[in-house]
Order: sequence, then structure tokens, then C-alpha cells
Amino acid sequence: MLRLECPNCGVRNTSEFRYGGEQNPRPTPSTEVADADWIRYLYERRNVMGVQIEWWYHRAGCGIWFLVERDRRSNIVARTWRWQPDGAAAAEGSHSP
Amino acid sequence: MSGRRLPAQTGESLDRGQPLEFRFDGHSYQGFAGDTVASALTAAGVNVVSRSFKYHRPRGLLCCAGHCPNCLVQIGDEPSVRSCKRALEAGMDVQPQNAWPSLDNDLLSLTEAASRFMPVGFYYKTFHRPRLLWPAFEHVLRNAAGLGVIDENTPEGDYDKQYLHADVVVVGGGPAGVSAAVAAVDEGARVLLIDENPELGGHLRYSRPDAVAHARIVDGQQRLLQSGGTILNDTAVVGWYEDHWLSAVRGNRLFKIRAGAVVVASGAFETPSVFAGNDHPGIMLGTAVQRLLHLYGVVPGHRAVVVTANDTGWAVAADLLAAGVNVAAVADERPQLPVGTDIEALQAAGVTLLPGSTIAAARGKSGVEEVTLVAVDGSSGSHVVRCDFVALSTTWVPSAELAYMAGARSCYDDELAEMRLDNLPDGLFLAGRVAGPCSAEQEWLQGARAGAAAAGNTDDLPIAASQDVQATARSSALVAAPDVGGDKRFVCLCEDVTDVDIETAIAEGFDRIELLKRYSTVGMGPCQGRMCGLNGIRLCAQGTGKSVQDTGRTTGRPPVTPVALGVLAGQKMEPVQLSAVHDWHVDQGARMMVAGLWMRPEHYGDAAAEVRAMRQTVGLIDVSPLGKLQLTGPGVAAMLERLYVNNWQDLRRGRVRYGIMCNDEGVVLDDGVCARLSDEQWYVSTTSTGASGALEWMEWWRQSGWGDGVHITDLTETHAAFNLAGPQSRALLQTQTDRDLSNDRFPYMRARRADVAGVPCLLLRIGFTGELGYEIHCPAGYGRYLWQRLIDAGADFGLRPFGVEAQRVLRLEKAHFIVGQDTDALTDPISADAAWAVHLDKDCDFLGRRALTRIATDGPRQRLVGFRTGRRADSLLEGLQIVQSDDRGKPQIIGWVSSCRFSPTLQETIGLCWLPAALAERSEATFHIHVDGRLEPARVHHGPFYDAEGARLRG
Ligand SMILES: [Zn+2]
Repeated sequence: MLRLECPNCGVRNTSEFRYGGEQNPRPTPSTEVADADWIRYLYERRNVMGVQIEWWYHRAGCGIWFLVERDRRSNIVARTWRWQPDGAAAAEGSHSP
Repeated sequence: MSGRRLPAQTGESLDRGQPLEFRFDGHSYQGFAGDTVASALTAAGVNVVSRSFKYHRPRGLLCCAGHCPNCLVQIGDEPSVRSCKRALEAGMDVQPQNAWPSLDNDLLSLTEAASRFMPVGFYYKTFHRPRLLWPAFEHVLRNAAGLGVIDENTPEGDYDKQYLHADVVVVGGGPAGVSAAVAAVDEGARVLLIDENPELGGHLRYSRPDAVAHARIVDGQQRLLQSGGTILNDTAVVGWYEDHWLSAVRGNRLFKIRAGAVVVASGAFETPSVFAGNDHPGIMLGTAVQRLLHLYGVVPGHRAVVVTANDTGWAVAADLLAAGVNVAAVADERPQLPVGTDIEALQAAGVTLLPGSTIAAARGKSGVEEVTLVAVDGSSGSHVVRCDFVALSTTWVPSAELAYMAGARSCYDDELAEMRLDNLPDGLFLAGRVAGPCSAEQEWLQGARAGAAAAGNTDDLPIAASQDVQATARSSALVAAPDVGGDKRFVCLCEDVTDVDIETAIAEGFDRIELLKRYSTVGMGPCQGRMCGLNGIRLCAQGTGKSVQDTGRTTGRPPVTPVALGVLAGQKMEPVQLSAVHDWHVDQGARMMVAGLWMRPEHYGDAAAEVRAMRQTVGLIDVSPLGKLQLTGPGVAAMLERLYVNNWQDLRRGRVRYGIMCNDEGVVLDDGVCARLSDEQWYVSTTSTGASGALEWMEWWRQSGWGDGVHITDLTETHAAFNLAGPQSRALLQTQTDRDLSNDRFPYMRARRADVAGVPCLLLRIGFTGELGYEIHCPAGYGRYLWQRLIDAGADFGLRPFGVEAQRVLRLEKAHFIVGQDTDALTDPISADAAWAVHLDKDCDFLGRRALTRIATDGPRQRLVGFRTGRRADSLLEGLQIVQSDDRGKPQIIGWVSSCRFSPTLQETIGLCWLPAALAERSEATFHIHVDGRLEPARVHHGPFYDAEGARLRG
């Protein structure tokens, strides 16, 4: 995966991008979340051996943040897309970058 | 025949009309243009080129193909040059490596007499204890080991990088590669053919001249170039990375190549076999003899023994015979002699031909003098044959490094006694000998098929069966020759590892191939396993009772061949950003410094004078590197509320507020001022060094759910910014603008748009330096002009430009922290004395709220606080530890100094430091800073050191 498809610009070298870590939605409101959930959000990455949804930023390009579904064993990228407000999994963004 | 140089050979690379003088080990020799250093040395009668790494045994040419360690030499100030690949140049000063004091009389060869003290794994055993002696051992080892000498006076070379793009990259310019490249270009692909040699042809260059095959190469090359293909000669592909990203090196240039598909047509190479004394100079691979003979018209001796297990050895023997060399014997491991014209010629010449036989031992002083040939099955007696060189044509290994890197699997073919490849990744194709033995016709067909497939043609093209070739091309199945005693039997020539070492390592439990490699160091030298890899695997299999396939192989990684570090580094180039006023700073003699991505003036000669001028009259500093963001839209205030710890909804139009941005751990990420220019238009500044990080952070939250109705425009590079500050700044600025700057109309912490010297500007009345001051932001294109106008107008007001150093002192006098200087990755704003900025009572959730709520409740453990010394204390530096004696009188570290300067205003050394909260709260409390074993006293100071009430800012 030395090339990545920016939803805006198309396939580009990964050197143009910044990795933003695995998707990690922020529990909200922060002051009412259980300690265990808050600690998990802040400090515990899942680090899966398999398919992960993660953030990338097109730093040397159009400047968008987008999501990538990547198999970390093979580096095969199944899809890339921009975050959508109605995306259930990403309701409040995340802590990753 | 007396000399070793033959009459001109068909296809040789020499220009015999151009002799070249050179020196080796202090002696003068002559070669020809077109020689390599190694071929010229061979022609000159030099047998010993180097000494081995561990035992310092004499070594001569082995592979002549750039793989083995034997021909490594020092040329001038360049160490570890492969003399078999380096073209000879007039006047070259060639030195042997690993030899002291000289090649012939090497004192360290005595280490071999002590070899029982250097068993396998001796790095781990012998020098392990006593630990106290390790420095002494290390000194001895460093001198004994190593390859060549680094000359620290060598001028830096000119290195560069080039990016290339191709639909199909073909690696290898032999028949299969040329055929593949032509087929791909015929399909309409953009083709790049890369070959490590000066000209195309691959094995045809050094095997017996074949006019038909040669014509096919020439024709293919023309067709390729005519169709727009590209050929890179003398270029080694050294790495395959994902998505067919290749690295290649030619001279001082690194190519980074994006390929749509890759055809690997890199052929195969021979490796030596394991027998007693197999490292004597004069024992070399059959292909090495062919290269010397056909490319350079040189024979390595006058009486040859050829050892083979396939038909290539017979071609070598017949070629030597034809060249006038006395071929003493040919031993073929196969029980039946093959048939063919080569055999007939040798038989006719009365050469001793030994089927079912192989070499078991070699003896000699500084080179091979005689060998013992034995029956492979031990059935009959042995032959001792005198000779002065040996050609080994026993074992083939595919040059498959790139395919392995790409994920191909090796599978050992027991019939062929050779590694084969499967599990090729998409878009990677093999053609020619790398895929297994093949005839000349098969090479072309395979190449054409692979090239067409790489270009996207999926038709089944014809491909000839390779069955008929296999019997004549198989490798030796012997793991090692029958043991007849005698000398060491080397497996790895780079590291002097023997078969006994391998057996010992296995017996000691290092019986997995990766462990065996690390422990015995087999394959860890300059050849990176090319010469010893297969023998190591087969010995490991034999020692553990596993199959070769189950034994596996060690992981191959880039680079395939050694790469100079300068090639990887490329041009010595560090891009920096320059402000619109950069040239002016330089013209004024400013001392420039790198600050983040920017070049900034540190001072213009006297930072203390700059501080005084600014406090007394007026100063001007270029703050263009500040991050400058324009935020527009109805959602800006709401987003800033969530990103910053401050309140923003209540900020009225035309006002400015200082803000701190934290993450959810409550850690300070960035700070700056935000101005609300209108209801929906904001101007946000960030720290200079954190500008891009802050933008990416804000953009991320904006694009992942918090950005409804917000648009961010980065003005950092499009806008210049200057800070005009000091008691006279208002009077000076008023001369350049019609905007009323009086304190009533433009008070402290306000933002105004104004034309200054005719330039549209945004003015922020803020005071990082502690004086009346204006931050002036304008389009960068006007920056230089506006700066000059201010400088000119400032002459009447005592204006003096100041740099980063003065600014650091000025802000320290006001006890303002700098993010990243006084804060680190654990600093929260409450501990950093900025609790006043944190609004836990905000009615929205914000980043850091939970953490800061807890810190506010528990109270910080360490606090950032000012200190003063009452004196000039230049020994106090940033980063020093603050210590306190514990109950037993032992000093304990309790804090550290994060900022420290002599203040020209206060005439004493002041600073900021981190102290335990209880101590930090006690104003005037004394503590001690540890300086080189001394304790320097300092006193806690609360608030700004200068103008604590801020009257000067607001006036
Ligand atoms: Zn993009």
C-alpha cells in the first residue's frame, strides 16, 4: 500500500499523506462517560491483526481527512471515503491524530 | 602459452589499443581500457586479491559477477569496491583489504592458528566474559575486522535521485528480458528495461559467442528504443516495495521507479561447493572463468581442472581447451558422461574425464596447486591432479531476490536440486533462467509471454516445455563433497564459516535457519548469502534431518546489492521557508536560524541592545512564520468552543482573545490569539513551529463532525506578519495610517482593519513583549514594501529591528510560556499557570474538559513558575535540573529549568522552571539548580517580572 486513493484526488503516493491512526470515536459527553470507556478511548488502541478503519490526511494534496478500510496483514485497501455525519460508526469523530 | 592475456576474443570488451597503468598493493601493473580491476589483476598474474575476514586466509577471485566478498578492494579513499565490477581507470591506486601489514605477509593470519579459540558463535562466547575486558576485546576486534578504511577527508560526493514511471519494468537485459521488453512495448506499454551491465545480452555476453543470439539482442534493443522504450544500463535494481515500487542505483544516482508491472528476468548465478580447502585462490566459478575468457581475454592459469554436475561445465572446459589452456581433468558428478561436441573435443585432446566424480580437496600455498578428485559414491580410488586453477560449475541459484521481496515463495525442486519460485504476487512475472533451466528458444518465448502479460495481454502465448533441458542443467545434489580430511571446508567465505561450524551450531540448538544464520553469521557478510545461502540451507536440512523445503530460507530484504549511504541520502538539501522580508534580514547582517520550517533572524548583532531599544522606544520583528488561519461561517464560534479551553461565544466583534488548545488528555497542543472580525469571520493565529500541526488538528475535527458551517483558509504562507512594539509604536504607526490609533478608538486586545502605507492590513493590538504594540498582518506580496516603509518611518522614532532572541527575552520578562519550550507532551494549562484561560463552566463539551476537571479538583503536582537570581548567572542554562536533599542528605531531582536568560531590563538572570506545587506556591522560596556539581540558588517569583500590572500594554 504505497499508493492510496484520495477520495478527492485519486490514487497518489502515500508519501503525500499523513496517517491518522485507527478510527476511535470520542465518547460523549466526556464528563459522563464511564472511566473504563474513557481510558479505552484515550489510551487503548485496538491494533488489530486484520481489517481496520483508519484516518488519513492528504497533507501534500487537497487537505482532506478521509477514512480507509485496510487489511493490515496484506495492506490491501478495500475502500476509502470521506466521513459522513450519518455514518453511525463515526458519530463524534475520534482522538487519533 | 606464457602470459595469461589471450589474443583478441570475439565479443571482448577490451580496447587493446589503450593500455592503462595502475597500482595494486604497491606494485605497478598494466591493463586495457575495458578491463575491470579484477580482470586486469588476473592478467597481471595476481592470484591473491584479499584476506578473509576471520582467519585472514588468502583469497582470489571467485564469482567475477559482483556477488562474493573475495575481490573487495580499497581504491583510493573508497573502501569495499567490488573489483570484478569496477572498470579499470588509468592511475588507480588499488589496495587489498583485511591485510596487515601486507597482502603477502599478513600477521593476522596467525588467528587461524588460534582458531580453536574462535569457535562458531565466538562473538557471543569468547568475548562475553570477563565483562571488564570487553573494551579491550572490542578494540582488537575493531582493528581486525571491518572492510577497508574510511577517509574522513574525502570530499562529499554529488548524489541525486530520480523518479521514473513505467507500465512495465523489465529487470535483466539478457535474452528473456529483451524479449519481454519488446513484447511489452509491442502491446503499447511504456517500458523500462534495466540491466546491471554496461550493455545488454546477459549470459550471452560471457558465454561462447553465438552470432544468431547476439543479433537477436541487437535487433530487440533497436525495436525497443524505436518504440519509445527506455534502457538503463549499469543499473542495479536493489529493492522491491509494495505496489511495484522499485529502487535502483546507477553510480551516484538513486532511481525510484513506479511500475505498473514487473518482469523479473534476472537470470541465475553459480555458487561454490563445499570441500576441503575450497577457498584457495584459483578456485572459481565456471561462469567466472567464462567471463574472464570471453569478456576480457584472460585465463586465470595454465592448467585447469573443471568440476561440474551439468552441461555448463563441459562448455567451460571446451572453451578453455580451445583457448589453449591445458585442461588436466573434468569431473562430472553424474554417473554417465553426456554426449556432445564439447565432450568429443575434450576426449580427442586426451583430457582425463571422470564421470560420477567430484572434487574433495584442494591444496596449495598461496593458490591451488593440486586437487583430489573422488567418486561421488566412494566406490573407487581418488585421483590427485596438479593444476593452477579450478572451475566449479556445480550449482545454480536463481537471482530471485526481487521476487522474494515481492512475496514469492521458494520451493525446493529435489530433481533439479535448485530453488524454484511460486506464489508470485499480481503484476510480477518471471522469465528466463530465474524461473528454471531453459533453452535459448525457451528464454525468448518465456520473455515474450511474460512481457505481453505484464502489458495486460492475457492470451495464452506458446511456451516450450522445459523438460528436455532439466537433465542437462540440474545442480549438484551433493550437500558437501565426501570428507577426505585435510583443510577447512568453507560454507560462507564472507565470514569464514565452515561446515563444522554449522554442525556445531545445530548441535548447540540453533537449528532453525534464521537462528543458525544469526548465531553462526553464515550469510551475514558482504555477499548476503548469495554464495552460501543454498549450501547453508542444505547443511541445516542435513543436520536436522528435515527436507530442504521444510528448512525454509532466511528472509531477503532490500538492498539486493550494497548501496552507498550517500546514494540513499541524495542531495544535501533541506528545504526551508523564507519570509517576504528574508533578503532584508540577510542584507542587514542578521544571524539567521532555522525555526521549524522557517529561516528567522536570531538577532542583528546585539540582542541585548534590541531588547533595550524596544523597551525604550520602538522595535520591529518579523513574525511571518506565525500560523494564520481564517475561519468563516456561522459555526466558527461553536467549533472554537470545543477546540479551545477558553470561551468564544461571548467574544464581541473587533475583539481579540488569547486561547489555548488542548487534547483530551488535557495536554497543551498550541496557543495563540483569535480575533473575531465579524459575526462569522475569525482570524486565528497559532505558534510558528506548530502551525501545520495545529491546522491538521483543527481540520480533522472540522471534517469529522464538529465543522458544521465552518470553512478554514490557511493564510500562513500567503500573509506576512510584523510586530511593531514599544512606547513609540503608536506614534510611529499613526504616521502611516489614517485609522485613529488613539487608546479610546483602538484599545488593548482589539482588532482593526486599516490601510498602512497604502497596504490593506489587519492590526491586532496585543502584547507578547509587554509593551504597547501592534501585530500587523498583510498579504505577503506587500510584506517587503511595508516592512521598508516602517523601517524608514521609524528612523525618527529610534526604531530598531529585533530578532527571535530578543523576543524570547522580552516575553520571559513578562513570564509568558512558549508551547514546546516551557511545555511538553504532559503539560496541562492549569499546571502551566494558565488556569485563568480554562473555562470548565462552559456549556459545551470541549477537548480536555474531563482531564482538566480532574486536575482542577486534585490540584497539579508540578507547576510552571518564574524564578529570579538577583545576579547575572550565565552558568544557568535551559534544561538544568533543580535538586533538593532528601532526609538522608541525598540530592533528589525535583524540577528543571525550561527557560532562562539574562534580562537587560532587570539586570539579573531570570527564568521559568517546573517545581513541586507546594514549593512553587511559596513566593520568594529559595531552591537550588544543579550546575556541574555546584548548586546555584534561585528564588520563586510569581507573575510577570516586568510591569506586573500590565499598564504599559494598555496605555
Ligand atoms: Zn486529495
